[in-house]
Amino acid sequence: MLKKLSYITLFALSLAAVSCSDTLDDINKNPNATETPLVPYLLTGSLKQGADLYWGADNNFNSSLLFVQHWAKIQYTEPDRYDVSNTSFTTLWNTGYATLITDLNTIINFPADQANSNYKGIALTLRSWTFLLLTDAYGSIPYKEAGLKVTPAYNTQKEVYTGLLEDLKQAQSLLNATNGSVTGDLAYKGDISKWKKLVNSLRLRIALRISDREPALAKQAAIDATSDAGGLISSNNDTFKFTYITSPQQNPASAWFETRDDFRISKTMVDKLNELVDPRLPVYAQLPSDASVGKYVGGANGLSNSDANSQGFAKTSKPGTYFLTSSSPAVIASYSETLFNLSEAVARGYIPGDAEQLYKSAITASFNQFGITDATVITTYLNQATVKYDATNYAKSIGTQKWIAFYGQGLDAFTEWRRLDYPVLKAGPATVLDGQLPSRFFYPGTEQSLNGVSYQAAVATQGKDLLTTKLWFDAK
Amino acid sequence: MKKKINTYAWLCILLISIGLRAQETKPLIQSKLEGTVIDAITKEPVIGASVNIKGTTHGVVTDLDGKFFFQTGQKFPYTLIVSYLGYKKTEVVVNQNAVVIDLAAEQNVLSEVVVTALGITKDKKSLGYTTQALKGKELSDTKETNFLNSLTGKLAGVRITNSQGDMGSSRIIIRGETSIAGNNQPLFVVDGIPVDNSQLNSGGATRDFKNAISDLNPQDIETLTVLKGPNAAALYGSRAAHGVVLITTKSGKGQKGLGISVNSGITVSQVSTLPSYQNTFGQGSNGKFSYVDGKGGGVNDGVDESWGPKMDGRLIPQFYSNGVAVPFVAHPNNVKDFFNTGLTYDNSVSVAKSDDKSDFRLGVNNQKQLGTVPNSEVNKTNFSVNTNYQISPNIKVGVTANYIVTNAPQLPGGPLGGRAAGVMLQFLWFGRQVDTDELNNNWNQNWNNSYYSNPYWNAYYNTTSQQRNRIIGDIHLDAKIIDGLNFRFRTGVDYYNDRRKYTIKYGTNGTPFGSYAEDAYTVDERNTEGILQYTKKLNDDFSLDALGGFNIRNHSDANNYQKAPRLAVPDLYTLTNSRDPLTSSNTLSRLRVYSAYASAQLGFRNYAFLNVTARNDWSSTLPSSNRSYFYPSINGSLVLTDALNIKSNTLDFLKVRGGWSEVGNDADPYQLSTVYNFQTAFDGNPIQTSSQKKLNENLKPETTRSTEVGLESSFWKNRLHFDFAYYNTNSLDQILEIKTTAASGYNSQLINAGKINNHGIEIQLDGNPVQTENFKWNVGVNYSKNTSKVEILDYDKQIQNYTIGSSGGVDVLASVGQAYGALYGTAYQRDANGNIVVGANGLPKADPTKKILGHYTPDYLAGITNTLTYKNIEFSFLIDASVGGELFSGTNRTGDYTGVLAETLPGRDAANGGLNYYVSGTTKTLLPAGATAPNGAVVYDDGMIFKGVYADGTPNTTLLSAQEYYKASYNISEAYIYSSTFVKMREIKLAYNFNKSFAKKLGFQGASITAVGRNLFFIYKDVPNIDPETAFNTGNAQGLESLALPTTRNFSLNVNLKF
Repeated sequence: MLKKLSYITLFALSLAAVSCSDTLDDINKNPNATETPLVPYLLTGSLKQGADLYWGADNNFNSSLLFVQHWAKIQYTEPDRYDVSNTSFTTLWNTGYATLITDLNTIINFPADQANSNYKGIALTLRSWTFLLLTDAYGSIPYKEAGLKVTPAYNTQKEVYTGLLEDLKQAQSLLNATNGSVTGDLAYKGDISKWKKLVNSLRLRIALRISDREPALAKQAAIDATSDAGGLISSNNDTFKFTYITSPQQNPASAWFETRDDFRISKTMVDKLNELVDPRLPVYAQLPSDASVGKYVGGANGLSNSDANSQGFAKTSKPGTYFLTSSSPAVIASYSETLFNLSEAVARGYIPGDAEQLYKSAITASFNQFGITDATVITTYLNQATVKYDATNYAKSIGTQKWIAFYGQGLDAFTEWRRLDYPVLKAGPATVLDGQLPSRFFYPGTEQSLNGVSYQAAVATQGKDLLTTKLWFDAK
Repeated sequence: MKKKINTYAWLCILLISIGLRAQETKPLIQSKLEGTVIDAITKEPVIGASVNIKGTTHGVVTDLDGKFFFQTGQKFPYTLIVSYLGYKKTEVVVNQNAVVIDLAAEQNVLSEVVVTALGITKDKKSLGYTTQALKGKELSDTKETNFLNSLTGKLAGVRITNSQGDMGSSRIIIRGETSIAGNNQPLFVVDGIPVDNSQLNSGGATRDFKNAISDLNPQDIETLTVLKGPNAAALYGSRAAHGVVLITTKSGKGQKGLGISVNSGITVSQVSTLPSYQNTFGQGSNGKFSYVDGKGGGVNDGVDESWGPKMDGRLIPQFYSNGVAVPFVAHPNNVKDFFNTGLTYDNSVSVAKSDDKSDFRLGVNNQKQLGTVPNSEVNKTNFSVNTNYQISPNIKVGVTANYIVTNAPQLPGGPLGGRAAGVMLQFLWFGRQVDTDELNNNWNQNWNNSYYSNPYWNAYYNTTSQQRNRIIGDIHLDAKIIDGLNFRFRTGVDYYNDRRKYTIKYGTNGTPFGSYAEDAYTVDERNTEGILQYTKKLNDDFSLDALGGFNIRNHSDANNYQKAPRLAVPDLYTLTNSRDPLTSSNTLSRLRVYSAYASAQLGFRNYAFLNVTARNDWSSTLPSSNRSYFYPSINGSLVLTDALNIKSNTLDFLKVRGGWSEVGNDADPYQLSTVYNFQTAFDGNPIQTSSQKKLNENLKPETTRSTEVGLESSFWKNRLHFDFAYYNTNSLDQILEIKTTAASGYNSQLINAGKINNHGIEIQLDGNPVQTENFKWNVGVNYSKNTSKVEILDYDKQIQNYTIGSSGGVDVLASVGQAYGALYGTAYQRDANGNIVVGANGLPKADPTKKILGHYTPDYLAGITNTLTYKNIEFSFLIDASVGGELFSGTNRTGDYTGVLAETLPGRDAANGGLNYYVSGTTKTLLPAGATAPNGAVVYDDGMIFKGVYADGTPNTTLLSAQEYYKASYNISEAYIYSSTFVKMREIKLAYNFNKSFAKKLGFQGASITAVGRNLFFIYKDVPNIDPETAFNTGNAQGLESLALPTTRNFSLNVNLKF
């Protein structure tokens, strides 16, 4: 009997204590993720997520691309009517900070034996680009305390832009072909010289951002950027872009159009391209699916849902297949933009050169970017009176052509349109901002509840958290 | 760490040494005793009463005739203790002669025996806290497919949020939410085995998967006891903070001879709370509509809203008419017609038998539910075994096992089902002229093709199936070591696989290539416990009842998800039939907790009692420095009527009680170290990225301190019972994944702070206003009021709000200084006088600052049950009320926007009070009735003016079309916040119990027929178009209604036969 009972008890106990040997600490070791990331994997992730952020729906074709009237909505027209709320612009903020900046900071903070200085230079460059997107869209943003405090204070645009110029200077000094090789770089395949060019092009971009506010600083920055030994982006091969592959790693616009049919090229863009007899029109737009239409028809911006609908899904032009195939690239900093920036820097007297020639080169670079290389076509285009560089109003010439060249790059098109104020865009009939166009993004509504004190302080300085509040850089 | 292992090893040794001692006592003589237990008043046999020989482990249960039988080694005379739920515990000294024992019925308490923590039965009067119990019949009679629903309104302080639709989950909360972010549902313990009640993948799921406890078959439940909160549940330590639900299943004890019970029921369900639709205007926009392809090819035929032409029979091409103009008329029931009458078949058979050495019960139950949404179906089969065997006079062993197979080929599409599967989504954007029969005639056509597929296509082709195989069981041993000292050992398991398959058919709108996904879960919860219990009467005044024990808990759950995002060929649902690389993920989560506990009850003259408990837990989820936690409690009770020797014709019994306890709640696994996740690799390049969540290496468990006082009394010879409880609970060191601004580097951080207070009262009243030999009227009332306040979130007081969840632009917050569950969203902009401010365009403006618009937690709950018994007929009805609290209704918000709701009718034409106007440019100019517009401009009659003022304070005069008017508040959350107060006729029941003698003539031991109607109608509610009582999941983010499936009204008929 004694034996029997002991066996029963032992049997029962053994059921209970099958894995008695594991310690409680072992049990709590996370088997699903790692505590120690690898630098190349973080870099690949940052590039992919950065491209998704810049080229995806929330920040691009469902917001900024509508605001600058590159695209228009044919259904669900609320964002095209600026009928948006402070829950509409959270992706740029959340992904920008919690994914990109956090991952890039991880690289920057790694000990040297885990990440050579080229990784760190690249990470600092990408982080600067992210901060730039954030401040261009929202205005004052947490910058100095970002990633360091639970409730970081906001910095003004002036502080952010000047800080970024310093960051990029440092990035430039970190980058050197002899500082070790880089893998996981899907943009430049580890070519450090191209990263150095990107850094200078971004510095030039920022110089012009502040030009209406801080001309002296802008001039110095332009000189620094253009005189650096690393050079600027100097061909379409140097263009900073992320090229997608196939589903599910396809271009976000392509993925969207696979299942939905919400967008058309904007009538404003089609009209402008028609006016200029611009050969980029067949690249930018498709013919309507109803073959009887036989010409490119843009969708008007800012219509009510029913009016937008009534334009006819089959009678209007979708954006060109160049932008909608699964491997379409996400262009982030182009050669043509750099040339436009050089042209403007010359026009503003910051650096020596021939503004008109640079302007022409910029348009040519854009044509080449979209596969138009026929010299006669280009020359014919450039010689039109409507295209010719107007030295008395460089903002109009550069603004208009930059707006066309930025087609698809909503965030930068939106920023440069606000800064240069050309082309003149009109709000659609059903828009809700009393005839105005948006001048910024709302802060995410969660800032009010999660970082309220900092938010209130920022809004007190910058002005109400409205779409129409003009940002510091947008002086005019 | 070493210390913990040692503790465990020590427990193992203790356990074995107990086992060795346990069989030293041997039987000496054989004595036999027969007896019958009857109700003292009705003289009916009491079935299932426990009869124990005092001071021994010998115990039997009375059979269907109230009879029991002992054959033991005990010498006569000895004392029998007879107890049964709802009766006074009685002690009788017996000789070998057959005895008849009268048991005095006592509803509600006094010397009632109740089940307490760890399944230990105690005299109710000795407890310093409240418990409340329900008999299995009260659960099984309702025929609810999720038995938690049948608790609604029956237990004070217990809040049940019923399932949405007819197949969903239910949420149970006892005494308010004490954890800001964690699970707030109680621990479920079935026959001593902690059982899982997760709702797996509730967050992103397109279906409302049932919470796991609903697997239990109510036919198998003997009693369900609720330990309300920490004071009652303190012995469960880190699992006690939210209370415990103890379920005892039926056994074969007391079944002399073979007893067979057959139960057969059928339930008919109808959808009961559909929105109220308008039937004047059809699909379209600005009064125009003509169908060509349903996606913009015709006039407004891509528009899925009902702002179209009047449905006056005018001829317009429609989706089924191939371009032929056909009458445009209303189909008022086009949504209702889509739904079926639901049918549930529920059949069970159980077989039970016992003799002096053993007992067993076998049960099988099959439930087949055909839901109200076409093609929805759930099948569930339970097999249960409960058997005990006396292997020696002092040792009894037993096994319980419950095997449950749930097979649902298709669950109804909930609000997150989206365009491919959401049911009500389409019906709140539904053209009012749509003929549902025509949709059913051809599933390839639809009234709108820019957004949706045919609703029948969705219901039959875009399916989600669920198959859950589950085993719950234990083996246990009871041993008497010496008189008064008993040992109990149990090891139990709850293990299940839950596999879901999601199909979307090729050609579905929005998912042109279709998709297929498999989502598989494995949950394994194992507990082993040993308890040593010692009972002794110390002297004439003092008695002692003490125990000590240990528990080892191992829990793991694993998930594996794989999806073919686009199918290669149609109609083949395999993971390999994919155009793309599969998306997949897998997780594994494990935890272990060691516990040691003890409790003691000291009684004085059977009227004063002091109870103390202590428990220490060691949890794997906490850092080693913070791992060990101690949970004490103390409570006492004093029966004043006995202590002060009060003899009164009015007051029979008066007891006061009170106590204090501290319990906890440990963390989830893997919350200590911040991690990086892998994402789908890009062209051979792996991707890692921050998990965006900063974890905390210094976590402590959450602590809940609770004080409870109460009073219990009965009057007029037990005609009226009264129980009152007041509690005050403070929960500290809450583990919160605080949402932080992304600018902090993380979207959330795990902190160990936060304090929430809950306090409230509970009142139970039970009375028999009329009580005659043949007729009895019983009224049971329960009332509870809980008030919560979030006091602190972080100790630096930087964070004011914790976001529990969000939907439709409204957040549910734990906000400092507010009650739990604040609804936070955009409000109308108002001037100093409270008028809504409109813009120059006549549209209301949203206040740029978000506001707290309400709270989802109700002010109080009440339930009243009236039971009228006349001879063998019992009639009862239950009315329950939830008063106070708010909800945000996505159904109303969407239905206003789309113009389908009846409430969008006012102002839509002159007949409905619309103003006449004409349009020039974009300006609308008001026309007096009968006037004509200048230049022959078209006159519209749907003019409306939003009530409000311009920024300068002058009244708004700007005209809007009705369409603009009803869309104007879509992004203003305040407009769709409603009071969630309701009073429901929850249950009406009519039962007939056949006379025993009559039943016997028919060849049965017993027979009864029960008819029940559930969720019959609202006596009162504030929110239009929906049932305020719907939860899509069991999480804490309640109060957000979003295109909820309509609830159902159920009628069931149930026959029970005993052979």
